[in-house]
Amino acid sequence: MKKFKLLIALFLTLTVTISCKNDKSNTDMVVYQCPMQCEGNKTYTDAESCPVCKMDLKAIDQEPDKVLNNQEISDESIFNLTNNWKTEEGGAIQLEDLKGKTLVMVMIYTTCKAACPRLVADMRNIEAQVPKENLKDLQFVLVSIDPKNDTPERLKAFAEENLMDDEHWTFLQGTESGVREFANVLAVKYKQISPIDFSHSNIISVFNPQGELVHQQEGLGVDNNETVQAILELTNK
Amino acid sequence: MKKNKIFAGILVILVFMLNSCSDKEEKKQNSAEISVSQEMTAELTAPPNVPRPIGRRKAKKLIVDMEILEKEGTMTDGTTYVYWTFGGSVPGSFIRTRVGDEVEFTLSNHPDNKLPHNIDLHAVTGPGGGATSSFVAPGHEKTFSFKTLNPGLYVYHCATAPVGMHIANGMYGLILVEPEGGLPPVDKEYYVMQGDFYTKGENGEPGLQQFDMQKAVDEDADYVVFNGSVGSLTGDNAITANVGETVRLFVGNGGPNLVSSFHVIGEIFDNVYMEGGMKMNHDVQTTLVPAGGAAIVEFRVDVPGTFILVDHSIFRAFNKGALGMLKVTGDEAKTIYSGTKQEGIYLPEGGGIQTMPDDGKVKTETASTDKTLEEKMESGKQIYMNTCFACHQAEGQGIPKAFPPLAKSDYLNADVNRAIGIVLNGKTGEITVNGEVYNSVMTRQSLSADEVADVMTYIYNSWDNNKTNVTKAQVEQVKSGH
Amino acid sequence: MKTILRLIMSVLFTSYLTTAFCQSEMVPIKGSVYTPLYGRDSMQVTISDFEMDVYPVTNKEFLQFVKKYPKWQRSKVKRLFADNNYLINWKSDTELSSGQSLNAPVTNVSWFVANDYCKCLGKRLPTVDEWEYVAMADQDIADARTKASYNEYILSWYEKPKTFNNEIGSTFKNYWNVYDLHGLVWEWTSDFNSVLVSGESRKDVDTDTNLFCGSAAIGATDLMNYAAFMRYAIRGSLKAKYSMKNLGFRCVKDISE
Repeated sequence: MKKFKLLIALFLTLTVTISCKNDKSNTDMVVYQCPMQCEGNKTYTDAESCPVCKMDLKAIDQEPDKVLNNQEISDESIFNLTNNWKTEEGGAIQLEDLKGKTLVMVMIYTTCKAACPRLVADMRNIEAQVPKENLKDLQFVLVSIDPKNDTPERLKAFAEENLMDDEHWTFLQGTESGVREFANVLAVKYKQISPIDFSHSNIISVFNPQGELVHQQEGLGVDNNETVQAILELTNK
Repeated sequence: MKKNKIFAGILVILVFMLNSCSDKEEKKQNSAEISVSQEMTAELTAPPNVPRPIGRRKAKKLIVDMEILEKEGTMTDGTTYVYWTFGGSVPGSFIRTRVGDEVEFTLSNHPDNKLPHNIDLHAVTGPGGGATSSFVAPGHEKTFSFKTLNPGLYVYHCATAPVGMHIANGMYGLILVEPEGGLPPVDKEYYVMQGDFYTKGENGEPGLQQFDMQKAVDEDADYVVFNGSVGSLTGDNAITANVGETVRLFVGNGGPNLVSSFHVIGEIFDNVYMEGGMKMNHDVQTTLVPAGGAAIVEFRVDVPGTFILVDHSIFRAFNKGALGMLKVTGDEAKTIYSGTKQEGIYLPEGGGIQTMPDDGKVKTETASTDKTLEEKMESGKQIYMNTCFACHQAEGQGIPKAFPPLAKSDYLNADVNRAIGIVLNGKTGEITVNGEVYNSVMTRQSLSADEVADVMTYIYNSWDNNKTNVTKAQVEQVKSGH
Repeated sequence: MKTILRLIMSVLFTSYLTTAFCQSEMVPIKGSVYTPLYGRDSMQVTISDFEMDVYPVTNKEFLQFVKKYPKWQRSKVKRLFADNNYLINWKSDTELSSGQSLNAPVTNVSWFVANDYCKCLGKRLPTVDEWEYVAMADQDIADARTKASYNEYILSWYEKPKTFNNEIGSTFKNYWNVYDLHGLVWEWTSDFNSVLVSGESRKDVDTDTNLFCGSAAIGATDLMNYAAFMRYAIRGSLKAKYSMKNLGFRCVKDISE
């Protein structure tokens, strides 16, 4: 047993050396899991008790799995980002959990009155041009620029209001640093100019199932033909 | 001799008339439709040389690779300056194209450079003349392409903030777009470009001189020179021709501030392509080259001697360096004439402080019955611009296939209560407006009854709608009806 | 059990880290309210108290970092996080070239690595506003932006070649006791991508509400601050994976009570 512990400790030191995500001073979100793993790997965002065995949920770090999985994705993949996100359904995910589907991503915030309704409409237009049978291989992801205000509840309400509550729509709330990092990968620029208002670039990005950037369209109400073509090429494979 | 000149002039005009009898609109249309067959790499030259004429070649895909270098150079004997250059020279490399060419332009920013740069080519039809697409950080490169539509001689320059400083440090040059069939052949062609420089020390002060921002803003130039430095076209650097030859000068002015009164002492320009365009003037003594503009001048040298190129704002020539020489073998000839001083302002930098449109937007809950129609219109317009504008657009025209129009809208005018209900509760599903089917989502708007009344009144009283005056009571009625 | 162990290990490791790295010295910066070149709605920005590295991160410090975190070595770095210029002048993954000084600022580093470097030390990159706030000081006063000599000094830097080879501390010590904010290298900031300058300097003065939400806030407050214009221009031209010869970084830290 002693040896075993030592081994674990060694292994952990190794993982910590590779990534310093364990540093508790950073703002990454903590997720919780039943210590008995009654529901397999299911995680929760709050420290409640397990609905099956009623044991208190324990905070976990998903890092070890990710380190192993990293070997399968390319250098260019956005799945190299290991920040934690919350979905509009309250689930906790990392970008890699979206692996395997073609991703259409855009950054918005729900209180936005000017450009975002247009961006959302652009996303819907793109969706409308994709045949129904392709939708199962496709995930439309709307990432909030405003993680402070756009809680999962708010995002859920927004999704319902905009009739974007189907399986293939996902809304994400991250941390401020996580959102900044994500924006940097997409080359999206944004700036908070008042407590509820942001300036931001209007970019819709398409990623292949391995998380590599395939196409970007910039601007509002622009011709989305190329974007749709890129999506069709990926989902018809 | 004169006869000869006149004959040459008529010939040139004839050639041009043949090329350009179709009207302007049509010509532009044609340029856009010219197809390109092959690919070739553009020949780029440092001043005072220009690349070979295009002659009768067909329109091609033309590859232009230009490198930006920030480097120290000589301003005048004993004085150096750090120039920012396109292609290592001031002015930057000369680019020669023809109408219909598809130019694939790659701008690379040397890794040792400290600043990001871009290029605005006045020959480009497109936003910023390429500036936005070519904005490039040190150690990187950007490629964009454009089609040359209009013949003429155009300036290019860097447009990165602070734009004045980038130009003042030498970031400008010329791009020539020749018409179909090329410019008429001449014996000698040269590239001359004027620029003004602002240094910490006075004119002539030795050592490495720094850029002086205040002097540049005050338009108080220390150096006004041709081709980037004092003496770049004098002595051994003079341009040359033989008696009887026709000389064509591609003259540009990078500024940043001063307008050039370009003149060649002892010559009269037989032909001037005014402002670098395709309109020709004849028998001109001094031609104006605006900052950020150009001109093509042609003259036959009949008499041997040294001909002095000047900015005829004459103190610039004799005290600040705007002086060049054209040496024609033989005896000296002199004609002196005094010019008038001209000054101009180039693109001003920046604008005023802008305020947020939302500023001071106070939600007043005063009873709308007290409001006049005028007040409601005013408040309604503000609400519209904040809440509705993005989708339904400034003139209520909507966006085809996405958001229905509010202007002259049959759907809107048919039922006021339905319209109020949509603002209060949102609307999804198919509707037909003015014969077009829309299937979009409008979310519930978080506006007070008063605000809804105002904005609806504004909409109904704009853009040919039926002028309904919506009251707060009416809105509340619809609200409670649900 | 596993999680507790991990927690202990990570705590131990963090403390080990902070001692193992020859931590660069930090100085306190007293927060205040000021007007940056590109502001928010009110044009005024409030800066809270924080600590800033006295010097930019050096080659020496960065060398230790990549030895500790091999994933940031040149041959191992992921292309998503750094372009081909990443540490391009180094002799190998863990060696400098002969011409490079250990005490020169590290350059040719991407935003991602700079961000991670600070994070691993329990610090963070400064925001644009924080950086500009400290950088508007000269030797004597906290806000020297209207002084002619201050502007001249910065502008003259553009005319000095290869300053990235100079050692840290070779420029002036400013009012806050911070060195090298001007005159050595550009520095990364955490939210450099909040600069919406397109590089088309004339276009940026427009109020095009179609392009950006609340773009009205895009408008400079001081048209004579050429030095700041250039800093914002360089930020606007960057992407997070870019690595440049003239671009380094330093870290800051919130003051914890």
